[in-house]
Amino acid sequence: MEVNWAQVLFNSAVTGSLYLIGAVGLTLTYGLSGFPNFAHAEFITLGAFMGYWVAEQLGLGLPLALVVAFLVTGIVSFLCYRGIFQPLAKRGASIIHLMVGSIALGFILRHSIGAAWTWRPLYFTAAWSAFDIGPVRISGLWLWLIFTAIALSVIMHFVLVKTKIGKAIRASASNPELALASGINVDRVIWITWFIGAGLAAIAGIFRGADTQIWPMTGWDIILPIFAVVILGGIGNYYGAIAAAFIIGLAENIGVVGLIALGLSTTYRIGIAFLILIVTLIVKPQGLAMLFRRA
Amino acid sequence: MDPLLYVLDLVVFIGIFGIVALSLNLEFGFAGLANFGKVAFFLIGGYTYALLSQVGVPFYLCLIAGALVSAIFGLLISLPALRLRADYLAIAVLAFGEILRLIVKSEDWIAGGDWGVSVSPAISLMGASHRVDALVNIGLVYFCLFICFLVVQLLANSPYGRAMRAIREDEVAAEALGKDRARYKAQALMLGSAMAGVAGGLYVQYLHCVLPGMFMPMITFTVWIMVLLGGPANNWGVLLGAGLVELFDRGANIAKDYLVLPIDPSSLQYILFGALIIFVLLYRPQGLLKESPIKTKALEAARYGRSAVKSDRS
Repeated sequence: MEVNWAQVLFNSAVTGSLYLIGAVGLTLTYGLSGFPNFAHAEFITLGAFMGYWVAEQLGLGLPLALVVAFLVTGIVSFLCYRGIFQPLAKRGASIIHLMVGSIALGFILRHSIGAAWTWRPLYFTAAWSAFDIGPVRISGLWLWLIFTAIALSVIMHFVLVKTKIGKAIRASASNPELALASGINVDRVIWITWFIGAGLAAIAGIFRGADTQIWPMTGWDIILPIFAVVILGGIGNYYGAIAAAFIIGLAENIGVVGLIALGLSTTYRIGIAFLILIVTLIVKPQGLAMLFRRA
Repeated sequence: MDPLLYVLDLVVFIGIFGIVALSLNLEFGFAGLANFGKVAFFLIGGYTYALLSQVGVPFYLCLIAGALVSAIFGLLISLPALRLRADYLAIAVLAFGEILRLIVKSEDWIAGGDWGVSVSPAISLMGASHRVDALVNIGLVYFCLFICFLVVQLLANSPYGRAMRAIREDEVAAEALGKDRARYKAQALMLGSAMAGVAGGLYVQYLHCVLPGMFMPMITFTVWIMVLLGGPANNWGVLLGAGLVELFDRGANIAKDYLVLPIDPSSLQYILFGALIIFVLLYRPQGLLKESPIKTKALEAARYGRSAVKSDRS
């Protein structure tokens, strides 16, 4: 069987970009608040539906849809943190209680979305031009996705290293008490991170929705590889997440080639992320964090 | 529909999910483990039962085999995560459940893929009505529930169970006293998975079929509600929780036929479940029934002096 490796490489960049945008918020909030927010999947879904609402139902176009989805999902995430997780943490809830709370929140959001829209798959109608560069088939959507991921990486890098809020985020993540003692308003830092993280998840949701379909499980469908990215990259480690997103993107796309060669169903591509997750836990639970000490 | 049969059916469901809730109570309530993939072990028990009963293995062996296979998987999947923090185990097990459902869904040769296969009931009497069938199932399910309850209850109040609770409260302190925390946790997960496996077997033989749609993540979540609502580390509380959640579920199903709501009732039910759990976590994290304090002769002697213990003996 002839494998088009250039295409595999390009697809890996597309997959990795999606996972990166989806995982940044999860890894940052996980590092700051100290628990994995399983409702992050629903922030992705909510973003996809907000995007659909603005772009298709109101007909206002995709750029505005991205902005509205970012803001609305960010605000919902902020309110959820203020209303549920912050009170829980203040009452001394254990990490297990926080995780259960996030799963409960996920159910509320998912089924609210299902009731407000529909459980049937929805599609963006915008058609994306596809063209060939050499042997590689490229669609405009995928180029935008890769462009967004690169832009996000660069912007987030400057935010984390140069700006006051970025430094405050890193300080609060590595040592909350010391950050508090240094005059950083740690609560506000956490709110801002929850807002931005969910906003980025919303953008990932729109891209995923435009690439495949939108339904209330859109986020849940890709939460497993996103968790693999977070764990492999090292919890709370932004640069680790960038590396991990592309490693998992590459592994998935090479894995699909392998699955086809073995005659297995390609739905197992999600199993590859699971395998990486388990191997990381066995071999190096800190993930790639040791390679990127600074953030 | 026959109202009596409806009640009997409810009783069977409470029994089956009572077993799963007890197993989660062992893992979460006593050992402090976040098993977010409970449904995976329920699924393993169910599919093991279905596959073995197809080749004519008697039902009790199918149930035991389901328990064993489930226990082995419980050990295997938890090993990489047990020495790490609670969240790693939660993510690993949750992912495991999703992968497992994916496998039985896409591999038609295992048990019919998406459409599943039919499973013969454990005990089928000649010419029995549905009511008698349900009664027979109640007997079988509550027998298993009784055994599981006894095991968890005895374990929890034994020195072994106290060590488990000590690890839950403070891993480092327990380790300093020579308790191997990873071993205790692995054993709790194995036993819990075995019980969930039995429940899975009972579930598929009662419903006469097995298909991937029966093992959605919602099952895990429902069982968590039962444990958290009823009272973690209190076996009676957990059974109470199982009863209340199943009653609520049925109530919502009946109300669906009579109420006209602007929102889809099954969605509303999930939303209410989610809200309920957040409410419980915020305002009553110990659940309806609290964990009972540990009772031993030594503790009583320390509390009330030696005379109290002596008079107790005489």
